Amino acid sequence: MRLFEATETGSIEIQIGEDLQAKQEELAERNRRFFQERRIRVFDIAGSVGAGKTSLIGEMVERLSPKYKVAVIAGDVATTHDAQRVTGKGATKVLQINTGGMCHLDAGLVARALEQLPESGIDIILIENVGNLICPAYFALGAEARIAVVSASEGAHVIEKHPAMFQSANIVVLNKIDIAEAVNVDLNRPLEDLKALCPDMKVLKTNCLAGEGIDDVLKALEIV
Amino acid sequence: MGQLGRFGLGYEIASKNRPKVHEFSIASEIWRSVSQAAAEHKARRVRSIAVEVGSLNLIEDEQLRFWVQALAEREGSPGVELKITHIPARIACRSCGEHSDIAPSASSHPHFIKPGMSCPACTSSDVRVSGGRELRVVTAEIETED
Repeated sequence: MRLFEATETGSIEIQIGEDLQAKQEELAERNRRFFQERRIRVFDIAGSVGAGKTSLIGEMVERLSPKYKVAVIAGDVATTHDAQRVTGKGATKVLQINTGGMCHLDAGLVARALEQLPESGIDIILIENVGNLICPAYFALGAEARIAVVSASEGAHVIEKHPAMFQSANIVVLNKIDIAEAVNVDLNRPLEDLKALCPDMKVLKTNCLAGEGIDDVLKALEIV
Repeated sequence: MGQLGRFGLGYEIASKNRPKVHEFSIASEIWRSVSQAAAEHKARRVRSIAVEVGSLNLIEDEQLRFWVQALAEREGSPGVELKITHIPARIACRSCGEHSDIAPSASSHPHFIKPGMSCPACTSSDVRVSGGRELRVVTAEIETED
């Protein structure tokens, strides 16, 4: 408890009425316009820790960089491991954001990372969100589309447990299909749950470590 | 001393030490909003702030208050009072059309709980959130130069 000192001057009440949720949307919209003006295609890759986001991004960079100038922005609470893993595959620039504790990227952090990109000449930006199926669902970055990566080893009920994330996605990548049997997961369950939750969702199956299914992902994103 | 290793105790320690990042970033946004408005009114200091916080934000009031006060003190408004009005979570049922207020299960850790979401009227879980995520800075009490 704190005591207020009585003052000679009076105090007045001012109306502020600022909606902070709308502020987030505004920042995302600002990023969106930034990308549209420069004709940059931007994708937000989200998913649990270890789902295969970095592997997917690495594969995408390898296939895209002969034809396009690709930048990668990786987000993590700590370390630069993800950025390092993607380096040397042909990307024009690889940046790492460390949130220092925040469990998701937001439009503000992305805007600050954009300041570090070259003024022009980037065609595609791949943003790797912080490994988390919950909070990122509520923070739009201003990307063209969100790819939600989910893997066989996350259990058969992962879709049902995280409806907001999958509803916020434009494409779902079901990764590590090669080990589903080894981890006792019937892939039909997540596939059915996705159909029930978001009937029009494009779902691609991949084994990112073996480079399988990546071309279908690029096709689904309409990157020629 | 204590026996670390039992899940319960480990969770308690983790929970107390978790970075209160949601509270801090929200406190920053609140203070930014108020200090901007206060400057426009040529305030000497801010005495109190009234905010509306949707309960689905799972904010710990005391942590939010702590951070707002820390930020305010740094900028010349020590002891600012934070009045928090909680907006209940609201769901709209896609099955029966009912709108209902729901209470999330009590927990201070947003990553560990998900509010039980089924329609109290018809028990369907085909619902969407229609309220409870608000974060509004409503008014502030300021002292002016004169």
